[in-house]
Amino acid sequence: MSGSRKETVLDLAKFVDKGVQVKLTGGRQVTGTLKGYDQLLNLVLDEAVEFLRDPDDPLKTTDQTRRLGLIVCRGTAVMLVSPTDGTDEIANPFIQPDGA
Amino acid sequence: MSNGSGLESLVDQTISVITNDGRNIVGLLKGFDQATNIILDESHERVYSTKEGVQQLVLGLYIIRGDNVSIVGELDEELDSHLDMSKLRAHPLKPVIH
Amino acid sequence: MLPLSLLKTAQGHPMLVELKSGETYNGHLVNCDTWMNIHLREVICTSKDGDRFWRMPDCYIRGILLSIFGSQMSLAKSDIDVLHKVIDKVQEESKTRADRKPPGVGRGRGRGREEGGGARQVKGIGRGGDDAGGRGMGGGRGRGTSSGRTGSSRGGRGRG
Repeated sequence: MSGSRKETVLDLAKFVDKGVQVKLTGGRQVTGTLKGYDQLLNLVLDEAVEFLRDPDDPLKTTDQTRRLGLIVCRGTAVMLVSPTDGTDEIANPFIQPDGA
Repeated sequence: MSNGSGLESLVDQTISVITNDGRNIVGLLKGFDQATNIILDESHERVYSTKEGVQQLVLGLYIIRGDNVSIVGELDEELDSHLDMSKLRAHPLKPVIH
Repeated sequence: MLPLSLLKTAQGHPMLVELKSGETYNGHLVNCDTWMNIHLREVICTSKDGDRFWRMPDCYIRGILLSIFGSQMSLAKSDIDVLHKVIDKVQEESKTRADRKPPGVGRGRGRGREEGGGARQVKGIGRGGDDAGGRGMGGGRGRGTSSGRTGSSRGGRGRG
């Protein structure tokens, strides 16, 4: 099989000192500058900002934020990591007549 | 390691899967593993409603993660083909509560 | 055919991934591992209710949080054909792997394929029969599915 045995699928090295967006189990969403990480996906984020959530629907984030500063994200809670660079909200790209 | 789930006999047959979130997905069982991850080919979802007939959404080739699988059942294709989906009314299933 | 081998073989192909939270991610599968952690490229993320969309160049998703992978990206015939080729490839690969296994050595690892198949053919596909056959062959008990997390309600599926 191709070379990814124990290796993590995503090489976080290329995100170090860059902005990343992290989604955590339970619905929290944080962005910050990736300062460090380990193979368990524990992350150190600097100048972290949490997006507050809609109190009625905790899975929805709002534009309100709160500053967290320097934080450690526990790897077990990390569900998604993506770079903030190039991440934008866009209009519905699936506008096709065959809507389901 | 043997697969205790006993799905071997259902491979290449049409099966019906109910997921933890209450969805019903029907398709050809192409494969599975110890964690009950399931490969379904030519799959479609059946959406039940009390207001209108059963909607069938074409999904195609799907892998359903085992954690998300509640029930796997064989489907009698013969019997199934006689069903008039547009006349069936049913409450959608509720999600599993852990 | 094992789901993970299919996934491995599907590397480079477009796919839809649904999280337990209900969000969906459409993108090209770059890589995946034995935990089903996946790396997608050129991703479009759709919120649970299907009315907000984000584009992201890259994203890494924990396997345990996934619920469904699909080829729904686009249902163009060509895409489906590609995926069937993928299936064929996986099947071939697993066949060659099975061929390579020296006869008689397969014992240690679970139930012998031919034996199982034979028994099944005789007994038909009745569930009880198959179960009995399986157990008679001394196959270890199945492990329950892993714990999983709270199920999500059905969610916006990538196409609003």
